Amino acid sequence: MFRLCLFTSIVMLTILPAQSLFSQSLGDFREEINIYNTLYDAPLHLVGGADVSLHELAKDKPIILALVFSRCSGVCNPLVLELKENLRMLNLQQELPYSVLVLSFDPWDKIEDMQYMAERFNLTNEPDWYFGVTDSINQVINSVGFKPIWDEKKKQFDHDALLAGVSTKGKMTKKLLGLRNSKDLRMLVQSINKVFIPSYRLPTNTSIFTCFNYDPETGKIVPGTGLLIIIMPVLITWLTVIGIRMAVRKKTT
Amino acid sequence: MQSLLLYLFLILTVVSTSVFIYVYRSSIKAGDKDGGLTNVLTKRMWFILILFVVLAIFFSATVPKSPYFMFKDEIPSKSVNVTAGQYFFYMSYSAINPDAPTSEPIELGVNELVEFRVTSRDVTHTFAVYDENNQVVAQTQAMPGYVNNLRWKFEKPGTYKIFCLEYCGAGHHIMRGSFTVK
Amino acid sequence: MENKFKKITSLWIITVLILFVVAIILGLLMRFNQGGNIKLDPVTFYTDMTIHGLTMIGIWFVAGMAAVNYIMERYVRTSYKANLIAYIMTVVGVLMLWGAGFIGKFHAGWTFLYPLPFKIMWEQWATPLFLYALLVLGVGWTIWTVSLMISLLKKYTLSQVFAWQHFKRDAKPEVETPPFVLISMISLVGVLSCLITAAALDFLLLTEYYSNGGFINDALLMKNLTYFFGHTLANEMLYLGLAVIYELFSEVSGRPKWKTSWYVAYAWNLTLFFVLFAFLHHMYMDFVQPETLQIIGQLASYLASIPSTGVTIFSILVAVYGTKINWNLANLMFFIGTAGWVSGGIGAVIDATISNNFLLHNTLWVPAHFHTYNALGNVLFSLGFFYWFSFQLKDGIIKDKHSMLKILLIVIGGIGFLAAFYFAGADSVARRYANYPEEMASGKFWATFGGTFATIYLLGIILFIGGILKRCFGFVFSRV
Ligand code: HEM
Ligand SMILES: [Cu+2]
Repeated sequence: MFRLCLFTSIVMLTILPAQSLFSQSLGDFREEINIYNTLYDAPLHLVGGADVSLHELAKDKPIILALVFSRCSGVCNPLVLELKENLRMLNLQQELPYSVLVLSFDPWDKIEDMQYMAERFNLTNEPDWYFGVTDSINQVINSVGFKPIWDEKKKQFDHDALLAGVSTKGKMTKKLLGLRNSKDLRMLVQSINKVFIPSYRLPTNTSIFTCFNYDPETGKIVPGTGLLIIIMPVLITWLTVIGIRMAVRKKTT
Repeated sequence: MQSLLLYLFLILTVVSTSVFIYVYRSSIKAGDKDGGLTNVLTKRMWFILILFVVLAIFFSATVPKSPYFMFKDEIPSKSVNVTAGQYFFYMSYSAINPDAPTSEPIELGVNELVEFRVTSRDVTHTFAVYDENNQVVAQTQAMPGYVNNLRWKFEKPGTYKIFCLEYCGAGHHIMRGSFTVK
Repeated sequence: MENKFKKITSLWIITVLILFVVAIILGLLMRFNQGGNIKLDPVTFYTDMTIHGLTMIGIWFVAGMAAVNYIMERYVRTSYKANLIAYIMTVVGVLMLWGAGFIGKFHAGWTFLYPLPFKIMWEQWATPLFLYALLVLGVGWTIWTVSLMISLLKKYTLSQVFAWQHFKRDAKPEVETPPFVLISMISLVGVLSCLITAAALDFLLLTEYYSNGGFINDALLMKNLTYFFGHTLANEMLYLGLAVIYELFSEVSGRPKWKTSWYVAYAWNLTLFFVLFAFLHHMYMDFVQPETLQIIGQLASYLASIPSTGVTIFSILVAVYGTKINWNLANLMFFIGTAGWVSGGIGAVIDATISNNFLLHNTLWVPAHFHTYNALGNVLFSLGFFYWFSFQLKDGIIKDKHSMLKILLIVIGGIGFLAAFYFAGADSVARRYANYPEEMASGKFWATFGGTFATIYLLGIILFIGGILKRCFGFVFSRV
């Protein structure tokens, strides 16, 4: 009996750290702001000379919209860089077409600043990537529900990393707040391509693992570590059954 | 739909219970020499086969109607954010801050595809929509930390009620909300 | 058989039956409150509901275990000590639960779905007391379960205990596995998985409780664990009852003993597997659960019904059809219980269909079907055993009194009580509502209706158990 108790407590102790990875609070609701709103149809000036409106640009292919400003010393650079890397890795263009619009939300940014940015990221000749500015940036960020705040001391905007998905009709179908993994990005690309996503988890600082993780390969949600915890009792049961049999056989022979 | 299920249940139960009564009576009538059923194994296999086929048909007919597959390839024309909490439903066209939730009256169009984006600010609740005949038409769970998206098209105009169907504390039965469809 | 086993079994029976009557009275209070015939404040209602649910699940589980333990003595030596420990821990655990409920007003429902236990709406101490009560019960039952497994495995090898040597169609194995041994072992394996899950769940809850906000659980994972434990336990209870029927039905009917055939062996081994996935049907309305698992849930729920109906129910019908049988209250209870189990199963399969569950989830349809295979199913299996057992304490000859009256009261009362749940559930009346809002006015009518019939059922139960209690009490206090 003692051995049994010991055994169970060891098992319990292994479950505990696994579970602590699941810790979460209520989740950040700001990701839900203005979903399915039609975004403001702003006239855009794109690097390379074209002038189109946001909705016209979206008509061909739905858009992944990244809101940045060129002098940012914070999250903007990693946001664009990760977006580039993740999209390259996911390689979705055939199956779920999209284009990427990197738009400055800084009224002082000029088209040249964005041109310079595109060059820095080595994205000037990349098809499906657009860099641009607009004169109606306030209307755009209002319709997205994005609120950068100018910090006079630091001479920087205090703002979130934000990606927004825009459907071909100009509607915002999904937002991603913060720097997110490729799984979440795939969900965003699906949503602008009209794929119904019945459920998802709100982002938190600590939510790295979930009960069910989203598999970027198949696009299906695959059982993650959480499911293992559910299977564990069954495994322990069988180990116990086999263990008992081995123990009693030794005694009787 | 619900009454259809009730009839289905009643019919099947009456049939199965009749079989039991019939079998019982056959035992009462039986003499000492009677040997019961013959060819049991064959009959058993037929029984299993028929049951299997019936269930397989039922399965393939019902699975596509699951709520996760409904209106899959459309983009909803309206979305309604729902945050459940002990013992209220907060509903709004814009996102709801769980720390300072606010509500607004909701009005939807007939046959318009709406998406309810449902979450909870405390314990698990259910967002269950009742029509004017007080029948459940659709539901999804409201779980803290998760958003469940329920898509639906209301075919009939009227006032729809919301009730909570997941036990959430002593005020569970007073939790309610409503919206209109025009 | 040794008298001490008869004594402990009598003790179990007395305890179960007394708790049963109390729990039914709690059920009646709930029903009459819902009908507006009496007035309880909501906290009292939900406390009653929590205690009713936990007590019922607890007692019919231990009833099954006690019966299996008693009969198992025919085949292997079981541990009297483990049986006694389980008894003591059960009594202590139930007292703790009742304390948390009746005194501490703990009312998170019998499923205590996370994070409800932590939204303290009752005495501060009630939550830890409740969690420790679960621990006491869990430990006691685990000891018992493992000890019964040890007893079986001392005599049977792994393949024998699961009857794998019977898989071949014309197998004539040297060691035959009686169906009772096979089904008991299969149920015990399931029970152990439930108990370990419950332990994990309890452990996670206690950790969060003592971490002062440093450790927070994930609601989805906790719900999966809760229903894996809750649903599977309710399922295994029934299987324990079936093990007893496989052993006793033929015996009390004066017919040749049932043997393990190849299809019986297959069916129960399949059940071992399917039963693990059926709990997923509790998660249908959590759209966040992956679709694949939802569909597996429906598939497993359907498939779980095939071996049980195809083999067990068919076997019972075949055993009775056109065959002269010594009918008495024991095998009648088994027979009626099987019919009730089938009806509950039909209600369950309808609700385990995702597109139906969309409309029926957490309406009164849910208590409708699970009360069917409890109140008119598993309870009758156990009552049949109790009845048979109480005559074993004397000369072993069953003498019925007023059997027609007892059966009519139980069956008619039961059907009326259950019909009220089904009709209200199909009318979208919610489950677990202390009072019904005007939109669910029909729920009120059905509550009074159901409560009235449940009173008839209770009357039948009291008549039925009177003799059993008399014989068991007599034996416990005799000096044998
Ligand atoms: C005639 C006897 C019984 C009566 C009058 C009765 C009555 C009730 C009532 C009124 C409820 C609450 C229904 C609701 O959700 O609104 C309930 C729930 C429940 N009953 Fe019974 N019941 C009886 C027998 C049983 C039996 C034999 C079991 C055996 C396992 C059982 C287990 C449960 C459980 C597990 C719940 C759920 C509790 C919860 O929701 O937390 N009941 N019963
Ligand atoms: Cu509720």
